[in-house]
Amino acid sequence: MDSTELEIVFKKETVSKVLTMFFKDEKTKVSSDAVNLMTEMLKIFAVEATRRSMKQAENEDCDVVDLEHVEKILPELLLDF
Amino acid sequence: MDDKEAYSQRLKAAVHYTVGRLCQNAVADCEMEVSRQAIAAIAETTFRQCDIFAKELEAFARHAKRHTVTTDDVKLLARKSTALSNFIQQKSEELALNNQELKKRKKNATKRKSKDMENEADEGARGTEN
Repeated sequence: MDSTELEIVFKKETVSKVLTMFFKDEKTKVSSDAVNLMTEMLKIFAVEATRRSMKQAENEDCDVVDLEHVEKILPELLLDF
Repeated sequence: MDDKEAYSQRLKAAVHYTVGRLCQNAVADCEMEVSRQAIAAIAETTFRQCDIFAKELEAFARHAKRHTVTTDDVKLLARKSTALSNFIQQKSEELALNNQELKKRKKNATKRKSKDMENEADEGARGTEN
């Protein structure tokens, strides 16, 4: 598969736009290196959420990761970030 | 207001797309499956986490009396977990190294260009002398 060979990352443009949208002050800007680091950060967040949900599904002996598994790992995940 | 909402929805869709791919990729490695609702939930969580991240980054930058968020602020954002903070530190060093190399290359390129121009000018001068 192609998707496994190419590393999946968030687009820099997307992350930068999302961050600037959430800033309270319009004057606040983000440096390009900071955007690069934030793409890594968000990727880790999403992958961590997936891995934990998978673990939860595995513990319940399910092959399909469903909403209930995500719900169960959510509080701890949010405490860790 | 409506424009803003539409804009936010589009960004959310972009985040959803990447999260979906990351999710499918991780799940396929372990020969499991993931439901669409689960992906949507993770995507929504990621998007809202972005909100928290952005507010914190802004506060950090403000505290340092800056208007621009820098890598230092992101490092501070990753303070809660040691492993994550180490990883971010390492990534930031890699980025710094890359930037240095790029700068060097640019410098060399401009030097070469100016040399070329000098040579051309010399030749031009010689041409007029003859």
